[in-house]
Amino acid sequence: MLVYTIRRMLGMIPLLMLISIVVFALAKLMPGDALTGRIDPKNASPQYIAEMREKLGYNKPLVWQYGHWIKGVARGDLGQSVVHKKPVGEIIAERLPNTLLLMGLSLFITYAAAIVMGVYAGKRPGSPADYAITVLNYIGYAVPGFVASIAAIYLFSFKLGWVPASGSVGIGLDDGSLSYYVSKIKYAILPALVLGLFSTAAYTQFLRNEMIDNGRKDYVRTARAKGTKPSRIDRVHIFRNSLLPLITFLGFDIGALLGGAVVIETIFTYPGIGQLVVQSVNSRDYSVLMALTMLLSCMTLVGNLAADLIYSLVDPRIRIQ
Amino acid sequence: MNKLRIGLLTIVLAMTWVLTGCQEEKTPAASGTASAAAASPAAAAGEPVYGGTVTYAYDQPFQGVLEPALFSDNGDNLILNMISEPMFATGDDLKTYPDLATWTESDDHLTFTFKIKEGVKWHNGDELTAEDWKFALETIANKDSDSPRWDNVSMIAGAESYRNKEAADISGIRIIDPHTIAITVTEAAPNILGTLWAYPMPQKYYAGIEPGQLAAAAQVRTSPIGLGPFKVKKVQTGEYVELTRNDDYWKGKPYLDGVVFKTIDGSLATSLLGNGEVDVMTLPNSQYKDAQKLGNVELIEQNSLSYNYIGFKMGKWDAAGEQNVMNNPKFADKRLRQAMAYAIDRVKLIDAFYNGLGTPIAVPMPEVSWAKIPDEQIDMYGYNPDKARQLLDEAGYKDVDGDGFREDASGRKLTIGYDAMSGSEIDEPMAQAMLQFWQDIGLNVKLNGGALKEFDAFYTAVEADDPSVELFSAAWGLGSDPDPTGLWRSNDEWNYPRWVNPESDRLIAEGTSAKAMDEQYRKQIYYDWQKLVNDELPMIFLYTPVDVTAKSKRLQGVHTNAFTNQVDMDKWWVIPS
Repeated sequence: MLVYTIRRMLGMIPLLMLISIVVFALAKLMPGDALTGRIDPKNASPQYIAEMREKLGYNKPLVWQYGHWIKGVARGDLGQSVVHKKPVGEIIAERLPNTLLLMGLSLFITYAAAIVMGVYAGKRPGSPADYAITVLNYIGYAVPGFVASIAAIYLFSFKLGWVPASGSVGIGLDDGSLSYYVSKIKYAILPALVLGLFSTAAYTQFLRNEMIDNGRKDYVRTARAKGTKPSRIDRVHIFRNSLLPLITFLGFDIGALLGGAVVIETIFTYPGIGQLVVQSVNSRDYSVLMALTMLLSCMTLVGNLAADLIYSLVDPRIRIQ
Repeated sequence: MNKLRIGLLTIVLAMTWVLTGCQEEKTPAASGTASAAAASPAAAAGEPVYGGTVTYAYDQPFQGVLEPALFSDNGDNLILNMISEPMFATGDDLKTYPDLATWTESDDHLTFTFKIKEGVKWHNGDELTAEDWKFALETIANKDSDSPRWDNVSMIAGAESYRNKEAADISGIRIIDPHTIAITVTEAAPNILGTLWAYPMPQKYYAGIEPGQLAAAAQVRTSPIGLGPFKVKKVQTGEYVELTRNDDYWKGKPYLDGVVFKTIDGSLATSLLGNGEVDVMTLPNSQYKDAQKLGNVELIEQNSLSYNYIGFKMGKWDAAGEQNVMNNPKFADKRLRQAMAYAIDRVKLIDAFYNGLGTPIAVPMPEVSWAKIPDEQIDMYGYNPDKARQLLDEAGYKDVDGDGFREDASGRKLTIGYDAMSGSEIDEPMAQAMLQFWQDIGLNVKLNGGALKEFDAFYTAVEADDPSVELFSAAWGLGSDPDPTGLWRSNDEWNYPRWVNPESDRLIAEGTSAKAMDEQYRKQIYYDWQKLVNDELPMIFLYTPVDVTAKSKRLQGVHTNAFTNQVDMDKWWVIPS
């Protein structure tokens, strides 16, 4: 198991090298750079822009620029942001906790809701409740994230006034106080809910079908024949087995959530990694953009590895040698 | 999503916007647009009272570079307007007025002696001295600081050699006593104070920080200080800045307890104004109609300091010779350019695509500027397709092969490529409307490459004089001083039409000459220049956008002008609920 993990991790290195080349090439292929269009005669001059381009190495050959960047990354130096005028590492460190909170909360909501609804529907296939849940699921499945965001903001923030519409924390709170953390969670609930909407729908449906499937399995019939208590059958024989495949999704979720965060964070003006991706693309802030894309790639790779490992942990039939 | 930068980088004058004194002038109503309530309602609402906090919203992220010498982003500028204070400021009429300092000018107009007000305190309690200003000027001149404001100090004698590290000091800056400073410039010009950097830097507070590290330092990012009416309490990166009242503000204690500057998503602006979460902001134009329906909000319209135009590519930038070369014969005939201007119904475009929020213009000069030529003295190029056709006929652009489109004067097929930027939902239909106007007078104008270009792709092509770029739709910001230098001379790289005209060069040079110290003379020079540009028409001037400030009715004392709605924020107050 340990050997397998190490082997997989080593395998990631060439993969990351390849990704870095693609990321760099894509970033540089975008027309313009961070200084394009900074054409305000009162605020800059052609000489200033030319000087900055020279200083930032934009005039050097691409291979040199790539080498320079990758050398820095290998040393843990992600470079300096042209737009934010500070080290990229700092910018990401400021925003990463927000995105992690959002993702954590989103996963929690997703799994809690999916288990409650999935189990309820799975135990009563064909009932009105089952159909109701199915309908809800398909709506959640079909509505794109940005539409759901606007609708959720309209309903929960403007009409009902339960949660704030934008931002990540309330104003006038001391960092680290209890009310500060409560506020952070309050601000994250709505975007987290929308972010997890698609997965919630998918998992609910998945769990429901697994429950029904497993309920018809031979070992369940055997258990019933033995006279095992029905509640124990539901809990141990059906539910636990139905949950197994769901757990393995956790790893893949990371990639999906990061992708979704790009859209959701922008609409909720939630200052996390996703919003930063959009801003960096728009402003051609290469160093930030490349660092973020690398970070997202790493997280996805690690997520996939985690999925494989969890799978082998929970399913004795697949033991990794 | 919101485009970060829209055509023009938001106008950021190098000077501040704080109106001096307490002139209670009425906002000039935007001509050609619905007349909105611009008058100050303060009298009706009663006497100002202390207390209350307001939320100032902005629909773009801010970077948090909170030092006037270093920021480049408009969000940062809006925050800095509340915390910083200049030596001299730009008034509503775009002229320079004393603020923290008064000055006298030497007879040769080369040396300015500034007397800085005594007893003014930085937010940390340090007293403002002449050293602080000297420090600011030196920091900007220092190459390591990467400050984009070099042009605001380059006119000081000795700044160049300081920049090149040949001198330890800038020789043109001389501190006479802690509150008196003399600044000598290399060349006399009437617009020195319009350009000279006016913001001091807290020298003691920044002590020990290398110029190259300043932009990233905590003293700039998280706990900036200034001299303005509000102090920064907390910076929540990318989200909001909490400001509290500066009780020691030198013009007197501000009425408001505090201001929250908050980034919001532009699409939510009307809703947030409606439910009171936002008290004041520059409204996205697309939401003008919706916001008009709000009962608790007042809309103030104001011509902005910028204009949209359609440029004719008439040549190329010769990088080696650092000058423009007008070598493209396509638009060489003035009548073609004029005809294309007459063909466009600008009023209709503004109504259809901008909710009427635009004022047609015919010269690149702010409406409120003293140097703006009256409309009667120039051709406004009002919609006149018949005149356009007539001009084209005269110039020999006739349809000889009967395909419905005019051929050029020598009978060859004429197609013109048009470039515009994509970004918002109106860009595509707007471009189509333009093409339709020109096709109506028989000109075969098509989108270059069949599609609009994304912002960076657009400017990359326009700056490089890509041969496919012929007509391009863009925008410029305008400064407070009427000097067209930087955009219009034959050796200006940002003269994108590549228009070369010796008379224009002569007038522009004359406008900042010693003789132009006389304002009447200078005004006449700029009148002549505007007439020339208006007639030669190297670009079709479309309109000046009208900015709409939406403010809650509970907020009083708000005064707007062409470049800011943050005038005298110490006078803002709220009606107690």
